[in-house]
Amino acid sequence: MISGAYLGLFQAPADYQQGDSFRIIYVHVPAAWLSLMVYVIMAVAAAIGMIWRMKMAFVVAICSAPLGAVFTALALITGAIWGKPIWGTWWTWDARLTSELILFFLYFGVMATYHAFDDRKTAEKAMAMLCIVGVVIVPIIHYSVEWWSSLHQGATIFAEGGPRMPADMLTPLLLMIGGFMFFYGYALFITCQTMVLKNERKSRWVREVISRNHSR
Amino acid sequence: MSTFKIYFAREWQLMFRNTGALIQPLVFFIIIALLFPFSLPAESNLLQQIGGGIIWVSAVLATLLSLESMFHADYQDGTLEQTLIHHRSLTLAMLGKVMAHWTATGLVLSLISPVLCVTFNIPADQIWVLFVGLLLGTPSLTLIGAIGAALTVTLRRGGVLIAVIILPLYIPVLIFGAGMLTQSYQGLEVTSQIYALAAIFAMSLTLAPLAISASLRATIK
Repeated sequence: MISGAYLGLFQAPADYQQGDSFRIIYVHVPAAWLSLMVYVIMAVAAAIGMIWRMKMAFVVAICSAPLGAVFTALALITGAIWGKPIWGTWWTWDARLTSELILFFLYFGVMATYHAFDDRKTAEKAMAMLCIVGVVIVPIIHYSVEWWSSLHQGATIFAEGGPRMPADMLTPLLLMIGGFMFFYGYALFITCQTMVLKNERKSRWVREVISRNHSR
Repeated sequence: MSTFKIYFAREWQLMFRNTGALIQPLVFFIIIALLFPFSLPAESNLLQQIGGGIIWVSAVLATLLSLESMFHADYQDGTLEQTLIHHRSLTLAMLGKVMAHWTATGLVLSLISPVLCVTFNIPADQIWVLFVGLLLGTPSLTLIGAIGAALTVTLRRGGVLIAVIILPLYIPVLIFGAGMLTQSYQGLEVTSQIYALAAIFAMSLTLAPLAISASLRATIK
């Protein structure tokens, strides 16, 4: 799974055409994309957890929060680094940038809510409620470039009439996005595994797993 | 509908028996707004430009301050648990309670904001814009904030957590509310912002009570 990310990373720089500063989109775009996708996954998982009372769904939601926050931070930081030479400023109070920053704080709110409760079941439910309520912000971020005539450029990949990008630039970008998705999935599995083991540490099957690994 | 009325009336009665707690957010609102003239250079022009934004931020903070107490007393004396197991609609009950809460905070804030505007030398047509904006925006603030209050009601120190989880959700309201003022300062139409605020209000009026009751059911056992 990680190899997907590596492939994208090593292949991507071979195809640049403009100045070097443009290359950062290979990190920026996937990170920004994932930051939204992770939140939607969180909200869906939270809704599944609330409706069907699935333990695993809450674990997925809470494990996604730090990952999503990292993707959001990465998108903001790479955007700032790119913005300095191109826009001439690190930061501007533009609709897209501001709403992405809100998303970052939303991730923190979700994590803070989860850790504020002593009882895990209550914490999971409270966190899930916040995830579901916060999902209203996702369409605002996604359409912010269209609703407000913003400094940030509009959609390039899913534009009307096909991607507005030459294929040799698009391919590594799509590879990077795929790689980021695989990375998210991989990291999610690891953190979920750890969390489930921690949550169920008193149950018999966890002891069996641990003793088996220990003897090996 | 009667559920709404009962809880609305009950909340009113409780609030007016404790006038001290009722006045606190309002005094807080005025003091926050009046801190800015002291901290800014004494040019009335600057205050005129940013005064509306200051009042909006003060209104957000005052609403936030009033949220913590919203469900707390009811949780402490067990009324909230009784409401949860009642046969009446919890959603409507919470809507009544929250709207009553708004009349004592957001509505009064909006009503005294023109006075603050006059002290900031804001022109009359801008005062109208601010007043309408606050009147449409503050109920959304209270409704959205009540979700945070409901989520944190069982925690002993929930105040900071409310701020962390609710302030990001307040930003859209603030953007349109304060954006309206900037637009009218530049002599532009503000209808689109009014529609946006009204849309947020309609959404929070219909969806927030559901989220509030779900939050209460999730956190209270």
